[in-house]
Amino acid sequence: MTDTPDWNAYEAEAAAAAQAAASSDDLEEARVRFLGRKSDIALGLREVRDRETGMLLNGVRTRLEETFDTRAARLADDELDRRLRDEIVDVTLPGDELPLGHLHPITQIRRMVEDAFLGLGYEVRDDREVETVEYNFDKLAFLPTHSARSPRDTFFFDPNHVLRTETSPSQIHIMEEKEPPLYMVSIGRVYRRDAITATRYPIFHQFEGLAVDRGLTLADLKGTLLHVMRALYGPERKVRFRTHYFPFTEPSIEPDVSCGICLGSGCRTCKYSGWIEMGGAGMVDPTVLANVGLDPEEWSGFAFGCGLERTAQLRHDIPDIRALWEGDLRVLRQF
Amino acid sequence: MRVPVSWLRDYVAMDMSLTELATKLSIASAEIEGIETRGVADEGGNLGLFRIGKVREAIKHPNADRLQLTKVDLGEAEPRSIVCGAWNFGVGATVAVALPGATIPARPGLPDGLTLERRKVRGEISDGMILAEDEIGLGADHEGIMVFPEIEPGTLLADVVPLSDKVLLVEATGNRPDLQSIYGIAREIAAIYDLDLAEAPGLIPVGTPGGPVKIQVGDFERCSRYVGTIVQGVTVGHSPLIMKARLLGAGMRPISNVVDITNYVMLTLGSPLHAFDLATLNGGGINVRRASDGEKLTTLDGVERVLTADDLVIADDARAVALAGIMGGAETEVSADTHTILLEAANFESHGVFRSSERHRLRSEASGRFEKGVDPQLADQAARWATELIVEFAGGTWTSWNDVHAGLPARPFVEFRPERADAVIGVKTTPDEQFRILGKLGFEQEGTGVIVPSWRARDVTREIDIVEEIARFRLEEVPFTLPQRREMFGVLTREQKLRRRLEDALVGLGFAETYTPSLRPDDETTWKLPEPISVDLTALRTTILPSLVEAVARNIDAGAKNIALFEVARVYLPGDGDLPTERVRVAGIVEGGFSRAKGVVETVYAALKAEPAFARGEHRLLHPGKAATTGAGIVGELHPRELDGEWGAFELDLDDLFAASREPITYTDVITYPAVRQDIAVVVGEGVAAGDIVATARTAAGAELREIRVFDVYRGEQLGAGKKSVAFSVAYQADDRTLNDEDATRLRDAIINALATEFGAELRA
Repeated sequence: MTDTPDWNAYEAEAAAAAQAAASSDDLEEARVRFLGRKSDIALGLREVRDRETGMLLNGVRTRLEETFDTRAARLADDELDRRLRDEIVDVTLPGDELPLGHLHPITQIRRMVEDAFLGLGYEVRDDREVETVEYNFDKLAFLPTHSARSPRDTFFFDPNHVLRTETSPSQIHIMEEKEPPLYMVSIGRVYRRDAITATRYPIFHQFEGLAVDRGLTLADLKGTLLHVMRALYGPERKVRFRTHYFPFTEPSIEPDVSCGICLGSGCRTCKYSGWIEMGGAGMVDPTVLANVGLDPEEWSGFAFGCGLERTAQLRHDIPDIRALWEGDLRVLRQF
Repeated sequence: MRVPVSWLRDYVAMDMSLTELATKLSIASAEIEGIETRGVADEGGNLGLFRIGKVREAIKHPNADRLQLTKVDLGEAEPRSIVCGAWNFGVGATVAVALPGATIPARPGLPDGLTLERRKVRGEISDGMILAEDEIGLGADHEGIMVFPEIEPGTLLADVVPLSDKVLLVEATGNRPDLQSIYGIAREIAAIYDLDLAEAPGLIPVGTPGGPVKIQVGDFERCSRYVGTIVQGVTVGHSPLIMKARLLGAGMRPISNVVDITNYVMLTLGSPLHAFDLATLNGGGINVRRASDGEKLTTLDGVERVLTADDLVIADDARAVALAGIMGGAETEVSADTHTILLEAANFESHGVFRSSERHRLRSEASGRFEKGVDPQLADQAARWATELIVEFAGGTWTSWNDVHAGLPARPFVEFRPERADAVIGVKTTPDEQFRILGKLGFEQEGTGVIVPSWRARDVTREIDIVEEIARFRLEEVPFTLPQRREMFGVLTREQKLRRRLEDALVGLGFAETYTPSLRPDDETTWKLPEPISVDLTALRTTILPSLVEAVARNIDAGAKNIALFEVARVYLPGDGDLPTERVRVAGIVEGGFSRAKGVVETVYAALKAEPAFARGEHRLLHPGKAATTGAGIVGELHPRELDGEWGAFELDLDDLFAASREPITYTDVITYPAVRQDIAVVVGEGVAAGDIVATARTAAGAELREIRVFDVYRGEQLGAGKKSVAFSVAYQADDRTLNDEDATRLRDAIINALATEFGAELRA
């Protein structure tokens, strides 16, 4: 080496080459030329003998390395951007198909009912489905002539055993098991001898509520059912009572919920009444209380029962109840 | 019950809208399921198109032998030309005419009704229609057109006959036999609207004749009262149009004046009646007795009934002539030739009627009322009024009367505290208002209580029953309150929470929950219905899987993909006592074979924080080589005869599953002293089960072996025939220190030595 290079010019030339590099490869080539093992500055550093020159050259090299690093990062970003721009996918294509199951609508309704009653401080239970005539009818004060006692309406295995026709035997079971106050909802399958149609199926589900405490009134029943109906159908719903007859309640009523389709003005769903029948209810008959050893002057109660299928049909506008029993995935996967 | 509104108006003056009435009745008395029109529709001026006409000319239709061509005067400038198919009239007859534009109601054979037009019939203009009674819902007769006495032509037909009526469809509850009657419903309306109620018919005795009626009651338990009257010299014929129209409106077919009157009185008052042709009764009297076993009776519907000793019959001296309270006999019914009738108004015990009705699968208007309990006071009243009507409309002379009973029940007195009503209903009603309501319903205040009217005596026996009478008139005023609570129970049990977790885990694994019937065509169970409604719903199932197999098959047929179904439901197993043992199970079927199903079961167990214990098992629906028990049930590959392809299946008992759950979880510190992990492979004989290797390893290594999982099974020539290599990963961990290499070696040696001792296992190099 004869001439002492102009290191300022060298640095300027190298920086210009870095800026001029249009790709990482170009930049690498320039780096090798200006900072590589055989570059002027590498050779120059190798031959340095004085402190001053050493500091100068180190300064040049450090600055150039920074310049090249900065440029390299910039080029890498640009190249990544370019590559990603080419990696455009059709975002409207479907994603990976992952398994997703479905709870049956009856289970969903069951949980809604459970949650509504848990919120009201009720316990949840279910009892046996094969019942004795004693628990299904006698202790619930069914008259001997009640039509439900007929094998035309009820599935009998023998004169003493039936498939329970309602969840009401749970009332007796809990009252025999525990002392009041009692607040429970019983949910399960019940059976009636109905021909299979769009609105009737011989097997269906009911929820049965029972409260036994001091000083309960028909107004408490009305408030409770309003809460539950609103939990099931929405906060706008109204509830009214109609007189009715059940063997195990007195007074007995049928609760109606205002029709959600016409909002009460009358339509086909509500048979132009503005109201939809929801089941049966009433104050626990003193005879039933006495049957389980409770003093009707001290204790009072209310009870009610509703069908889950009917609730599901109303909530989801299911025209044919059979759809709930056929296990058809085209149906189940909607819920 | 179908209640023609015009009939109600005989007893209560009503001017409210029927829609409002229906709502009020539905709330306080009995559900009104609809309001129908009987007869001609009263809308758009339709009624004005039905007129009285006088026939001025009547000749045979020139082009049709069976038709008449008439000119009918309708009070207009010119008579109208009308073609008519009936021949029971001629010139001068007063007839009913529907004019073009009139809509006549639907009837059998004309389901949509008909709007008339002026048209040509066989070339002759017909400018209207001369009406038969069945064409406008006034009767069932189509033998000829209606012919009236002299009436001014052009008179509105609606002014002459009950052309149009509304019918309330009343669905009374079983405790209200009084609402099985027009008068009973009128009474409710009068109470709801505070209106006057007309006196019931038949209450004022008209001179009772002295002649006897031979009545013998052999069973007062089953027949507490039997009123018989005899009317001689009746002429059986048509009923008045208004009676026919009302019966039709009430859903009963008019038959003859005598029979129609018995039905009309039954519908009005609620007490069934029956008329016998006295000439057909051997011995001329009535004997109420039990049938003998095997005795036969052909009822009015033409069916020969074989009776039992529990059937109560009305008999003459020779035979049974009616099934008491249910249906009369065919041989003694009133016919066109009947001249003397014996009219029965009786009280039959409800449960006996119910049993006979059940046994013979025979229900009638009468049995429906007796089953609910008919007011015994009504028999006398119904008999008197029906007899009066028979004399009025069928002629004859009332000659004889008898009323046989063993004492009539007194009206019950019930203690009643008005404040008790307030306490039950939750809304205050003044005692005056309470007694006003009760008074309108026929209850009389007396001392510390009320006397119950006879028509409610069966249903109202206690204070709470009186409270209900008040409550049903106050339902719209009851406020919405919630109970004052002293104790709360609003938590799910451990099992209920775990059930939700189980359901959610399966949903997370891609399963769709389904519900299938708990009754199956057949099952190996003693719990079978002797009288199922269909062969498909006969036996209570002892396993859920067969129902799921069917559901999967239907889905395959429907072209479904990725099928995975589960159900949580009961099975009904033989029990110790006289009830089955009901167990809740979860069952599932999923596309894929054994390992898929086992993976699902393992995940379910993991979700429930429980450990399965797999062992070789068998189940009639599963592949014999690919089935395992888990400790709570079975898992395996579905037997290929069940479904094409490879399907995994499982059925587990929830209580057993939940018993194995370690919920709630106790925390284990796995962070402070980390685990040491190793893979080990051993060569064993083909017959050694992986599960046994794992179990032996666990025993040998003890508590420091925290995890062990088989990840590979290899067979190859270098291992030799009948040998396999089983590779498993292990994790060792201690609670109080970090295990070192020596510990790991110690544990590993313990495992290998135990496997060598137990199975002759060799460590694979």
